[in-house]
Amino acid sequence: MNNSMIIGQYVPGTSLIHRLDPRTKILVIFFFVIIVFFANSVWSYSILTAFAIGTALATRVPLSFIVKGLKPVWFLIVFTFLLHLFVSRQGDILFSVLGFPFYEESLIQGGTLSLRFFLLILFTSLLTLTTSPIEITDAIEYLLHPLKKLRFPVHELALMMSISLRFIPTLMQEAEKISKAQASRGVDFRTGSLKDRVSAVIPLLIPLFVSAFKRAEELAMAMEARGYQGGEGRTKIRALLFRKKDYIVFFLFCLIMAATIGTRV
Amino acid sequence: MQQQRVLFLVEGAIFAAIALLLDILPFLSIKLWFQGGSISFAMIPVILMAFRWGVSGGMITGLLFGFFQFFTGAFIVHPVQAFLDYVVAFAIIGVAGVVSSQLKASAKNNNVKFVLVYVIIGTFIGSALRFLTHFGAGMIFFGYLAEGQPVWIYSLLYNGGYMLPSFIASAVVISLLMSRRHKLLLRL
Repeated sequence: MNNSMIIGQYVPGTSLIHRLDPRTKILVIFFFVIIVFFANSVWSYSILTAFAIGTALATRVPLSFIVKGLKPVWFLIVFTFLLHLFVSRQGDILFSVLGFPFYEESLIQGGTLSLRFFLLILFTSLLTLTTSPIEITDAIEYLLHPLKKLRFPVHELALMMSISLRFIPTLMQEAEKISKAQASRGVDFRTGSLKDRVSAVIPLLIPLFVSAFKRAEELAMAMEARGYQGGEGRTKIRALLFRKKDYIVFFLFCLIMAATIGTRV
Repeated sequence: MQQQRVLFLVEGAIFAAIALLLDILPFLSIKLWFQGGSISFAMIPVILMAFRWGVSGGMITGLLFGFFQFFTGAFIVHPVQAFLDYVVAFAIIGVAGVVSSQLKASAKNNNVKFVLVYVIIGTFIGSALRFLTHFGAGMIFFGYLAEGQPVWIYSLLYNGGYMLPSFIASAVVISLLMSRRHKLLLRL
C-alpha cells in the first residue's frame, strides 16, 4: 500500500508544531477562532497577528505551501477591502487620489475585516498543514468523548474514519485502473458534451462500487473473525499523550488570550 | 445482527472514501465557474448509502465526507459557519434515506418507474437540505465581506451555482445506476 500518499494539505515535518499533541492544536485553534472576534483594537489585533504569523513560521512549512493554501481566499480578502473602500463612506476624508476620496472609517473597517479573515484562514489551515489526518481522527475521537453520553457514536465514527483513510489510496489506484481499462474500451472521460461526460461516469462507478462492496464484506468478515466488539475496552496502538510542550503551549496561549482581552477598547 | 452492524460501519467508511475520490479525481471534475465551483459527483456515494442503509447510513457517511472536506482545506471564518459547512451540510445529505424503504419495496417488485421516482425524490431531498445549510453558512461567510449588502443573493448565487448542477448530475447518474443494478446497490 502506498502510505506516502497525502490526502489534503498535510506537509510532514519535525517542527515543534508538528510534534504537539493534535488535541492541543485543535483546542488552541478552536479558541483562537473565538478570540479573534473579541479583538477590536490596534493592540489586540497586533498581538493576534504576531501570534498567528509566529506560529506559521514555527511550523517550518515552506511558505509556498502556506500561500498555496490561502490562494483561493486572496481574492476574497482583497475584494473585502476594496468593497469597503469604495462602497461604504463613513468618517472623515483622509486623502484623495485623482479626485477619489478615501474615507478614514471605511479604510479602517475594510482593513480590519480583511485582517480578521486572513488570520482565521491562516491559523485554521496550520492545523491541516502540520497534522496528519490520522492524528486529527484520534484527537477528534478523544475530544468528542463527552458526546458518548448523548449516545453519539464517537468510537464508531473514529473507526470509520481510520478505515476510510486506509482505503483512500487503494481505491484511488483502483479508480485509476478502472478508468484506464474503460478508456481502452473507448470511454472518454475528459472531453465531450456535459451529457456524454456524465454518462461516462457510469462504467467507472459500477465496477468501483462492486469491488467496494466486496472489500467491505471481506473486511467486516475479518473484523468479526477477530472478535471486534465495538468501542468498549478497546486499546489503542497510537496513544495520545499530553507532554510538557503541550502544557507550555496552553500556558502561552492563555497569556495571548488574556492579552487580547486586556487590550480591547 | 452484529454482522450487519460491522458491515454497516465498513461500507459507510469505504463509501466516504469513494466520495472523496470522486471529488478529487481530476478527470471527473467538470469546471463550471471562475469561482472554482464545479459539478461534483461526491454526493452519489453518500446518497447510495442513504438508500442502502436508511437515514443513519447516509448521515454517517456524509459526516465522514464532511471531515475529509475539512482536511483538504477548510475556509473557516466563524464557528457556526464551520459547523454548518463541514459538519451539518454533508451529514444532512443522508436524509435522502427517508425514501429508502419505499425504494427497496419498488425495487423488489422490479417496478423501475417507481424506483426512478423515489431516487429523484430522495436525491432532491438530500441536495435541497445540503443547499439550505450551505446557504445559511454562506450568509455568515459573505456577511463578513459585505456588511449591509444583500448577502443572501451572493450566497444564493454562489451555492446555487454548483448545487443545482450537482443535484442534476447526481440524480441522472444514480437513476442510471439504479435502473441497471438496483439489486446490487440496494442490498436486496
